[in-house]
Amino acid sequence: MATAPPTLADTDAFYAGALDRIRNSMIGLALILFAGAWWRFGRFAALGFLLGCIIAYLNFHWLKSGVSGLTDRVTHTGKPQSGKGIIARFLLRYALLGGAAYVILTSFPGSLRGLFAGLFLPVGAIACEAVYELYAAMARGI
Amino acid sequence: MRKLSYLFMFLSALCFAMPAFAQGGAASETNWIAITAGFSMAIASAVCGLAQGKAVASATESLARNPAARPGIQFALILGLVLIESLALYTLAIIFLKVK
Repeated sequence: MATAPPTLADTDAFYAGALDRIRNSMIGLALILFAGAWWRFGRFAALGFLLGCIIAYLNFHWLKSGVSGLTDRVTHTGKPQSGKGIIARFLLRYALLGGAAYVILTSFPGSLRGLFAGLFLPVGAIACEAVYELYAAMARGI
Repeated sequence: MRKLSYLFMFLSALCFAMPAFAQGGAASETNWIAITAGFSMAIASAVCGLAQGKAVASATESLARNPAARPGIQFALILGLVLIESLALYTLAIIFLKVK
């Protein structure tokens, strides 16, 4: 028995949840890879990786809220945010990234590679989302 | 604006001239890896900045034309910005791994 083809509303709902799925993928990937890094490379590399994951997660979250504030201002919808606040959030991301990298570089140089690996967490999560969307397109026709 | 662009062109020419001035005197070991790393980071940052600016400009223009398409445009913009930033991070990571 053939299933009904997905409607436009189904497709919209599927793609609307992509950012939440990416966020969940980031959390899942961070936990799995942190355990793997602890087992394979030791404590310092794993802690550096975890710090990189936390920075990447915060970076992604602030980027998302910054873009949301920007689109609110362009479309005149939602709660209006000040332009200074949006810019400050964008700049704060770089300050956080640079500060953490500096602290790790000066205090725990052995954790630096782990930190850099953790910073690429969003790329891994986006790759997971791309694979999932490919699966959904092939299996369910969305 | 044109004067400013001439000033930046002059300064960039000076950046190329500085290693030539440093080559006089005793033979010294030039750390080409560090020099190349500096240029690569500068190029990566500049191009990523341009790309992010272009992406945001296009997205805001599209949103102003068609506010109803906001969810799709916002999603594409976030993904684009993350991937563009990751390109600069790739360069930074490679520099930290290669330059001692």
